[in-house]
Amino acid sequence: MHEFLAQLANGVELGAIYALIALGYTLVYGILELINFAHGDVYTFGSFTALVVLVALRAAHVLHGVGLILGIVAALLVAILACALLNAGIERLAYRRLRKAPRLAPLITAIGVSFMLENLIELWQGSAPVPFPNVIPNPELRFGALQVGVQQIVVVALAIVTMIALHYFVQRSRLGKAMRAVAQDRDAASLVGINVDRTIAITFLIAGALAGVAGFVGGVSFGSAWFLNGFGAGLRAFTAAVLGGIGNIAGAMLGGFLIGLLESFSTWFIGGQWSNVAVFSVLILVLVFRPSGLLGESLPEKV
Amino acid sequence: MIYAYAFVAIAACVAIERFHNRRAKIAIALALAAFLAIAPRFYGNEAVFSILADAAVYVMLALGLNIVVGFAGLLDLGYAAFFAIGAYTYGMLASPQFGLHLPFWVLLFLAAALAALFGALLGAPTLRLHGDYLAIVTLGFGEIVPQIFQNLTKYTGGPNGIAALDIPSFFGHSFGASVMPYYYIALLGIVAALWISRNLRESRLGRAWMAIREDELAAKHAGINVLRSKLAAFAIGASFSGIGGVLFAAKLALVSPDLFGFQVSVLIVSMLVLGGMGNIVGVVVGSLLLTIVNSALLPQINSLVDTTFHTTIDLSNIHFLIYGAILVGIMLFRPEGLLPNRERRDEFHHNGEAEAEA
Amino acid sequence: MSLLELSGVSKRFGALTAVANVTLGVEEGAIFGIIGPNGAGKSTLFNLLTAIYRFDEGCIAIDGTSLAGMTTQEIARLGVARTFQNLRLLGNASALANVMVGEHLLLRANILDALLNTTRERRERAEAEQRARELLRFVGIAGIDEQFARNLSYGTQRRLEIARALAARPRLLLLDEPAAGLNPSEKRDLVALIRSIRDGGATVLLIEHDMGLVMNLCERIAVLDYGEKIAEGTPNEIREHPRVIEAYLGAPA
Repeated sequence: MHEFLAQLANGVELGAIYALIALGYTLVYGILELINFAHGDVYTFGSFTALVVLVALRAAHVLHGVGLILGIVAALLVAILACALLNAGIERLAYRRLRKAPRLAPLITAIGVSFMLENLIELWQGSAPVPFPNVIPNPELRFGALQVGVQQIVVVALAIVTMIALHYFVQRSRLGKAMRAVAQDRDAASLVGINVDRTIAITFLIAGALAGVAGFVGGVSFGSAWFLNGFGAGLRAFTAAVLGGIGNIAGAMLGGFLIGLLESFSTWFIGGQWSNVAVFSVLILVLVFRPSGLLGESLPEKV
Repeated sequence: MIYAYAFVAIAACVAIERFHNRRAKIAIALALAAFLAIAPRFYGNEAVFSILADAAVYVMLALGLNIVVGFAGLLDLGYAAFFAIGAYTYGMLASPQFGLHLPFWVLLFLAAALAALFGALLGAPTLRLHGDYLAIVTLGFGEIVPQIFQNLTKYTGGPNGIAALDIPSFFGHSFGASVMPYYYIALLGIVAALWISRNLRESRLGRAWMAIREDELAAKHAGINVLRSKLAAFAIGASFSGIGGVLFAAKLALVSPDLFGFQVSVLIVSMLVLGGMGNIVGVVVGSLLLTIVNSALLPQINSLVDTTFHTTIDLSNIHFLIYGAILVGIMLFRPEGLLPNRERRDEFHHNGEAEAEA
Repeated sequence: MSLLELSGVSKRFGALTAVANVTLGVEEGAIFGIIGPNGAGKSTLFNLLTAIYRFDEGCIAIDGTSLAGMTTQEIARLGVARTFQNLRLLGNASALANVMVGEHLLLRANILDALLNTTRERRERAEAEQRARELLRFVGIAGIDEQFARNLSYGTQRRLEIARALAARPRLLLLDEPAAGLNPSEKRDLVALIRSIRDGGATVLLIEHDMGLVMNLCERIAVLDYGEKIAEGTPNEIREHPRVIEAYLGAPA
């Protein structure tokens, strides 16, 4: 029972991180039908920027009391900003030129960008995992048989708040409505006066910002950052987005939590070395048997 | 030395591509083959031909993937899985692992068949998927296969893999420590792969692939069995990779799961993209260029920089950056590749206009 | 028995009924036209015939064989070929290659023939190429063999698509607005071409907007309106049919 609850908490925590990353895939796919393969590496970049900020602040001895809270907020904000700009920059420099290219071209480009980012991060921070500054106090709390760390609660809470904010933004705000219109029909959207280029750029900014939150949260949660983290986490998150129904925001959240739980429980039952196999098998099975995902609707092929 | 060989080979390929006269093309190809076969008698050492043998294996892999991506238009991001299956076929059946010591020549064909079988097994359920989704599913498969080899420690040696693989022999003459037999076998392999690629492109099946790549719905209306044609592309492409895997494993006398990751799949895709997808000669040039950069140019620049500036920079660390830059740069500035085929060039440059008209 | 028989065929998209309870028969050797205002369900009907969509109700049969559950490719094997309203040529392939793709079902070479370039493969290829050249001549566009489909003029592309459809030697040829975008002289040539296709043994079913062309060319005509068949008959009967006049001119106030 203890072990079960611990794995459950673990899975939810992992799931929150995957859900945040998955939202980035789903937003971009929804609007461009592009699998932004570099998204996972933007997440890695977020982890490292937060890490660098925290390390610098710790070296300056300001991380105590109010300074600690301000420092954490600063690290989070810097990660968000850096990732948003990076993601939008990638769109501007690489993907924008390929909107009318044959379908494989943007995906191949995205893979290329991913490889470049991974290598650049490796050159920057080395090829070994870097420990994440352990500055956030993490006392254990007990709820009956359930034992969770404060960090876990912060991680999940931060993720959920972000997701709710995103949901309302997309449903209610002017920009959110523009995003949905462009996703539905780019030409029609531009006919009614929506600036398509700007809307797509903003989508990438938001997706990047989400990856920044995820990068911070993931760094805290895993206790380290590694240049290849984004590859595995990105694929899991993409699986989550597909499982939930790609292009669907609620689906990405649901998928994220399901994949987090799957990973945590498959690790428990059959061993961590099989969790990759489990996750990718889910990906293949979902795509083969229900490509529209759990919450997606299937659309008839256009003729 | 290695550059001289690579230069001759690439120059000959470009010449073949530029000449329109069929006889001239054949003459150049024969001259190149003769040169590559005879040259080792006069120049070069084992190290050079070791790199060239590896390059030749990669050319085979790239030609195999070209059937899937270039001919049939299916982006396969897990192609290294079939390479792994080929290599492990040799690793498990020609080593002390199970005490089985099947002959290299038998395993060459067995691996091709096994890789083709797995290609078909993967393809059967997934080939209904389109474009990006298919790419991601193949990527997933490519991640699962090495992971399984890594986890089934009892059979595959786990993360350490299998070492001390049998040294092949030819009518009782052991290959010994020399790399030359692998070089010659790989050359023969390329000749066969080129011949088969050309046959396929001109065949009824090749036209079916072209139709599927261009307009799947139109292909169906012509009575083409789309799924079966795609399966054929997957299986044939995979079999090239299986043969490449046996050569690779036998030459290295070692297999381990980390040799067949996603990077290898992307490396081969990069070769295709660099040379020009769909164009047989372009693919050869692309794979030669990339292998030479990887195995000869980077290490040399590295040691040059280190001795000049007394540094210890590790330039082997920028492989990913190079593949990535090739993929991005080519897609943005020359999407048809260095040596495009006529069809793809038009496809990339006129698609925008065509959509505007439609 | 008719070559093509539809009885009570319906197709719905959500709340919209695109084809409603349509029954009609096309005799072997006929030139049969389907007309109707925009959105009347003509193209949907064609898409049901080649299994791009599945029909919800009714029965479609070719020469007595039901099409229910068949795939596009299986229907092609029954001898049905078609063209598309918006042209679906293989743009980056030569005109000749386009027609040769159409010959797919006539050829027997298998994967082994392909790998080894056997005599059968080479003989079939040579024959296919020969037939493709003849077909290009037959539809009146000889000499463009090596040009890319996408570089051809619109009228030539239309003919090329017809050549590709004919390459399969279909029993039933479906033409989806073959005259769209053609000038008057091209339309005259098209009428002659369709007649000679029929004289060659194929049955022709066509959708068309150009009333003059349909009245001149077709022996029987069916009229669709809001998915329903409102009339069927010879050109003269259709011309005077009150419901047809109403559908085209609007209901009398």
